[in-house]
Amino acid sequence: MNTTTRLARRGVRRGLALAVGSLLAVGAAASSAVTPATAAAPPRNGIVCTKGDTGAAPGQPVFNLTTRTGYIDLPDGNTSFMYGYSSGFDAFQHPGPVLCVKENDTVTVILHNTLDVPASIVFPGQEDVLADGVPSQPQFAGTGFMTSLAQPAAAGTGTVTYTFKATHAGTFLYESGTDPETQVRMGLFGALIVRPTDSDSQAYDDAKTAFDPSEEFMVLLSEIDPYQHAAVEQHKAFNLNNYKARYWLINGRGYPDSIADNYASWLPSQPYGSLATVKPYQPDNTKPGYHPLPGMARYLSVGSEDYPFHPHGNNGLVVGRDGRQSTALSSGGEDLSMEKFAINIGPGQTWDVIFKWYDAEDYSTANPVTVTVPDLANQVVGTFYSGSPYLGNTHDLPPGIQTLNQCGEFYIISHNHALFQITSWGVTMTGPITYMRIEPPEPNTCP
Amino acid sequence: MTSLETQRSRDVAEGPSGGIAGAGRLRMSRRRALGLTGSAAVVAGAASWAGKVLLPEQVAEAAGAPANLYLAGTDGWIHLPAAPAIPPFHPDPLGLEEGVGKTTYIFGFRNVTGMTTAQRLAQKYHAQHSAPMFWVDEYDGNQAHEFRVQLTNLGLQLRPDLFDAHTLHWHGFRNVIPFFDGEPSGSISVRAGGEFTYVYRPRDPGTYMFHCHVEDVEHVHMGMTGLVFVRPAQNRTGAGSGVPVSRLGGNTAAGAPMGYLYNDGNGSTRYDREFAMFLSEVWAEVHWADAHIQLPEWSDYRADFALLNGRVYPDTLEANGPGVNPFDVEAGRTFAADGNLIAPAGREDLKHQPISSLVNCIEGERIALRFANLGFRESAMTITGMRMRVVGRDATPMRGRTSATSEHDGADTSYETDTLNIGPGESYDVIVTAPPKTGSGDYDTYFLYNRSFSRSNNLADGGFGGQATQIRVHGSGSGAVKPGPQAFPNDWGFSA
Repeated sequence: MNTTTRLARRGVRRGLALAVGSLLAVGAAASSAVTPATAAAPPRNGIVCTKGDTGAAPGQPVFNLTTRTGYIDLPDGNTSFMYGYSSGFDAFQHPGPVLCVKENDTVTVILHNTLDVPASIVFPGQEDVLADGVPSQPQFAGTGFMTSLAQPAAAGTGTVTYTFKATHAGTFLYESGTDPETQVRMGLFGALIVRPTDSDSQAYDDAKTAFDPSEEFMVLLSEIDPYQHAAVEQHKAFNLNNYKARYWLINGRGYPDSIADNYASWLPSQPYGSLATVKPYQPDNTKPGYHPLPGMARYLSVGSEDYPFHPHGNNGLVVGRDGRQSTALSSGGEDLSMEKFAINIGPGQTWDVIFKWYDAEDYSTANPVTVTVPDLANQVVGTFYSGSPYLGNTHDLPPGIQTLNQCGEFYIISHNHALFQITSWGVTMTGPITYMRIEPPEPNTCP
Repeated sequence: MTSLETQRSRDVAEGPSGGIAGAGRLRMSRRRALGLTGSAAVVAGAASWAGKVLLPEQVAEAAGAPANLYLAGTDGWIHLPAAPAIPPFHPDPLGLEEGVGKTTYIFGFRNVTGMTTAQRLAQKYHAQHSAPMFWVDEYDGNQAHEFRVQLTNLGLQLRPDLFDAHTLHWHGFRNVIPFFDGEPSGSISVRAGGEFTYVYRPRDPGTYMFHCHVEDVEHVHMGMTGLVFVRPAQNRTGAGSGVPVSRLGGNTAAGAPMGYLYNDGNGSTRYDREFAMFLSEVWAEVHWADAHIQLPEWSDYRADFALLNGRVYPDTLEANGPGVNPFDVEAGRTFAADGNLIAPAGREDLKHQPISSLVNCIEGERIALRFANLGFRESAMTITGMRMRVVGRDATPMRGRTSATSEHDGADTSYETDTLNIGPGESYDVIVTAPPKTGSGDYDTYFLYNRSFSRSNNLADGGFGGQATQIRVHGSGSGAVKPGPQAFPNDWGFSA
């Protein structure tokens, strides 16, 4: 683990703590005051890459991952006991760190197990993975009973070193191969991003998959049966036939925590937010707000059934799945990417989705909506509404109504459309919900 | 009167009208006029209270254009098979007191286009499921052709303790501002007694769905869901030789297709009939709980009933109610004098489930089936004896692309299948070609059903139920009994 990065993170947490009570102050200005100038603070929104140990040879990144136990906060006020992969030797976090490597890198992942059970890592989608220098393979007890999908690290103090060459760009999972129906659900999973040789701001080695690097997001979907987690915590047996998810999470958080910043101080072990802050797509460089590249959402699922994720307001262009670009295998290699408004992601799948948002009607005060806006007394106003239909505008709200809107920005929701799954053991409108936050074109008054 | 008030008054005075001639315009009631005056006074007070000058920014020039469709949100009851029972949730004893065969409490939409104020207000507690299906022509750039849907909220008769607002979320509509998206957090929603007009300029043909997005988990499951689709410009323009203007586009020539699903450029999505197949589910406990002021545990979710256009088989075979075409409205003919729905003949219990799923067609015809799923489970819709060609999904034609900026102009990715796995919030456009009629009766029967069998039964062994219907292929000969042209989607083509 890179020490300076860790220090920077702690700095950000302190910065956020100081800023509590001043909504506008939360952010780069507050955190940069305590961040070493040489270390880039992690972004407030978007993917936080863990790049491995400093000092590793070029093209040969090394990651230390430590299994730990800890607790996460859930939207109904409950907490859940978890396993997790920590970055380096850090404290528990959930989900595991986002490992970012380059296509054709030789990747080393050293697992340090502190759990009281053996644990391992498998890398679905990677080929020729070695464990301590020999092929990573399923492990069997003498009777043929399979004990692990890969060589595990022994309970307590065991270590295994996994290596592989990341031959395909794309989005991948890594997860425990040992007792996975318990350990993966307990939280031993994370994302691996392999960036293409051509460019870090493309999904694949194809310019058609280019995206704006400031608008890259992770949507990692998971679920929790609290009884299973309580049983593991109390070293009690759990009948897996009784498994029933009661919580569903996005990047290890439920809404509204899901839209809090990366490393929000009140979520000390759930570092990854999922708010997608973007600017309107504007491919014309003669117009204000020139912004020619789309955003990129990397979907991953470790759930036990298909999750139908639905981003409002824009159709994602599915440019790849499971770390393979959506192109035909024929010699023409035709582009088979497809637009969808339902991202039906199955267990273990990853989907690479490029998206853009713009107001198709270019509404503004000069080009107003063609309806009468109900007068204030007749409006039921949403938490994020600016008081105005127009991007970058704010307007009066009904007396006594407060908004979280800061500068006339838009908020457009994305959520799981199996709607009983956007609940948290009975609390509705929580779970895997996030928003796309659309910033007004600059200059704007956004903090 | 300020210009702002003038504008408002004009809007209300003109009111919404139906999308067809003769639908008539609504008049402003005295009660409503008084309400508006009162509201304006409140606004002025609010502005001075806030210490700001109230700018008339939000009042638009063209704000007075009439609505093409007028929907109302409210509650009501529908019919599902009473046996076997799911005590104590199904059949709900409250429903049996409310009308013939009513078993299940719902929230839902109604089409109140062309109604008088008295008729409209009387639709409280008369929701339907699935919601009124509607369709729109692809926007041609002429602002006069934008599609305007006015929404009112009639309140919940059985739950006066719930003062829930409603919205209209057109699921899948691209690049829309939050103001017209219907997701309440980022916008405004319609309180009981309120009105709001959503404006759509649909540029992407295909099949979509819509639902209320307030208390999404509850309002969607309770039934505020329906299907909407966009017809392509190619219907009106054709696409060169061999791809004529369609009948929907005004072509009366024999042999012209009824329409196209997409701007395919080659006629590959042409069809002779079209049917919407809207999928939804009922978990009896939730519907009972809402009627009895209880709260469910949503993570226990189960689909007790799986519905096709708001009914379960064999009710799916019953006739359309007379008001299924939302743009053809007339008191006494498409809705009753009191504004309520008119039940399909002989099925009073299906009065608030007006949409038929029976497919009547003629051998050799190309049938467009538009599927959308707003249940919470994936459905596996299967047809025995016919292959479905998937030509669109999520309102996107099955085509690759040739450049970073192009859209669906590349390789043909359509495919044939027996089974569509349709996830929640997903849509499919398929074409089936009716095979030759070989049987001796008036028609051959094919079956369309959910291959997830627990959702093609009605909780009982033996026989089909749930998400299932029939496709009846009639002969084409001059003496054959066969349907005439469709007047609207899901129309049987029989005058009876």
